[in-house]
Amino acid sequence: MAAKEEEISFRKETINTLLSSFFKEDKTKLSGDAALLMAEMLKVFVQEAAVRSQKQAESEDCNQVEIEHFEKILPQLLLDF
Amino acid sequence: RLKAAVHYTVGRLCQKVGEKQRREFSRQVVAAIAETTFRQCIFAKDLEAFAHAKRSTVSTEDVKLAARRSTALFQSVYIQNKSEELAQEKELKKKREQRHRGQQRLRTCHRKPGTS
Repeated sequence: MAAKEEEISFRKETINTLLSSFFKEDKTKLSGDAALLMAEMLKVFVQEAAVRSQKQAESEDCNQVEIEHFEKILPQLLLDF
Repeated sequence: RLKAAVHYTVGRLCQKVGEKQRREFSRQVVAAIAETTFRQCIFAKDLEAFAHAKRSTVSTEDVKLAARRSTALFQSVYIQNKSEELAQEKELKKKREQRHRGQQRLRTCHRKPGTS
């Protein structure tokens, strides 16, 4: 169970298709390691977003993280990434 | 469909974070984070497409370059560690494959230095 929890991350294929769909040239490819690294980066981004909005909710004594909490942390989050 | 995949992973990540603190994430938040992740990809793609001047494959170096822009030091250190981890994993895999391919050959290789 613990091992399963640690494995939560974006799938390599997802990253591959996602980035490829953004490339201007069709020829451009993504190496396998780059995809994994990218997945890791996005994971960090998401975790950061989650934890920060959670902190915001905590400081406001809310039991549920609402959209306004996320809105408050979003500017700084985008500046940091 | 892609967005759905991203949304799903973001949802799971959020749930995991939420479990620790016993705070639930509303669906709106999950959707917003997924959308932001999507936006993040656009910027990453720009940098990556820019980074490979003469190649047509994005390598880990390019990702690291993209990472350097963000969260300057921490991120680059973190990503550095991660890429090293990846490289190590790769080597391990290679070793494992070698073992699979020719266990006997390896055995003889091991024996040789022992006998000499």
